[in-house]
Amino acid sequence: MAPLSHQESANLVEIRDVVYRRGERAIFDGLSLNIPRGSVSAIMGPSGTGKTTLLNLITGQLLPDEGAVIFEGRVVCPCSRQRLYATRRQIGVLFQDGALLTNLNVFENVAFPLREHTRLPEQLIRQIVLMRLHSVGLRAAWQRMPSELSGGMARRVGLARALVLDPKLIVYDEPFTGLDPIAVGVILRLIRQTNDVLGITSIVVTHDVAEAEILADLIFLISEGKVVANGSPAEMQQNESSLVRQFMQGLANGPVPFHYPGVSYSDQLHAMSGT
Amino acid sequence: MNDSIRACWLSFGQFAATFGGFQMFSLRLLPYLPKAILRPRLITEQIYSIGVLSLVLTMFGGFFVGTMLALQSYSTLVEFGQIDSLGAFASEALVRELGPVVAALLFAGRAGSAVASEVGLMRATNQLAAMELMAVDPIQRVVVPRFIAGVLSVPLLAAIFCTLGVLGAYLIGVHQLGVDAGAFWSHIQDRVDLYDDVGSGLFKSFVFGVSASLMGVYEGYYAAPTAAGVSRAATRTVVITSVWILLFDFVLTGITVPGV
Repeated sequence: MAPLSHQESANLVEIRDVVYRRGERAIFDGLSLNIPRGSVSAIMGPSGTGKTTLLNLITGQLLPDEGAVIFEGRVVCPCSRQRLYATRRQIGVLFQDGALLTNLNVFENVAFPLREHTRLPEQLIRQIVLMRLHSVGLRAAWQRMPSELSGGMARRVGLARALVLDPKLIVYDEPFTGLDPIAVGVILRLIRQTNDVLGITSIVVTHDVAEAEILADLIFLISEGKVVANGSPAEMQQNESSLVRQFMQGLANGPVPFHYPGVSYSDQLHAMSGT
Repeated sequence: MNDSIRACWLSFGQFAATFGGFQMFSLRLLPYLPKAILRPRLITEQIYSIGVLSLVLTMFGGFFVGTMLALQSYSTLVEFGQIDSLGAFASEALVRELGPVVAALLFAGRAGSAVASEVGLMRATNQLAAMELMAVDPIQRVVVPRFIAGVLSVPLLAAIFCTLGVLGAYLIGVHQLGVDAGAFWSHIQDRVDLYDDVGSGLFKSFVFGVSASLMGVYEGYYAAPTAAGVSRAATRTVVITSVWILLFDFVLTGITVPGV
């Protein structure tokens, strides 16, 4: 982890008693967690527990019904659009599919935030973009269009773009989904290296236990709208909770049922046959 | 019966919500318009893809509508001994009505649907969300340049449509049907007024351009992020814009025709 200065709080992101409802259903019901500066933190949990919703709350795309999301000691939302954008300039987000702009080539995609937010001369933009592309191993692919990239390459370009404004926090949304083992290894290495070399903070939203154990300093396991366990990967493996064991060991049976909750099989058959 | 009333009420509610949303969206664009002028390159890029790439279709349409007008009007004008007025008749019909309306309908089919699909696909593939998270406002970067480009393109396309239409009428009228070339042009000069005819045609084109461009970006921006959602946005753009154009044309004709 990166060393702390005296003025800085130990946590870059603090989520305090957040309640977020979608319709009648509470996605989060008093969720609290702290993301320490310089760490790689993995947010994990069974499907549908709201991992991506949490990402959206951190980046100010969603507003919590109660509680607060705090970044750098300031509440992310609600605030003016100008302040929200100022906060977002300090946060890089890597989408699951890279979310590259399809009408721009690799170089222009990475240059996009620089062109939008700075008045840097073209030569300097070229140097910064090539440096970022070099760091993700895709300098030679600068002229390619997004449609010519594999899934792993698109994510690496997305990472270069997320890094180009030197953010304090990078949020990765399911960075390993759908990748071959080599691409997973590359992304794992890049996330760790980027975090340690640039001294930034990383949040990885994932359900890949093996990768999270290799990568993360801290794991937060979310279920039923709350953090049910957190700690280092080793601590999580030793956790005795049945839910944590089911998730970390990938067991089919446990507190998370195999069948989606609903009426019994026989009741449904009767109901559907109209008897 | 109750179900029908409830369904009607829900449909009306849905219509009111969509209409209100559209109004809010239109108002939301206003503050961005002056800022957009500071980045003219974004607008010129869109004028190319929206306007320039619609040129061939517009010219083709204009030419054949002009030839058709000459052929259709010929027998009636001969009957009344007004064959020399063929040029004036075709030009007035083109400049006041057919030019603005047909050019805008072609624009809605070619460019309006393309804008809706493009913006809708950007929504579906998280490109708009990525811009938001890079602190780049997609309304300013994506929506407004396309809107302005559409508003500027439609009157220009209508003018080109009319020009090609008059040339088509000239070709058929003078070279095929034997109308005197001098009479053809002099009647146009006498009858077609710069302010009453050309001006009202351009004004109509401007209104149609605003309608078609606004509907394209609105439908695309709020498209459901699925294949069906994008397809529906493109279809709705063409259908609603066409209805608007015909409706506005009726209203504007009522306002601009002298003596009505």
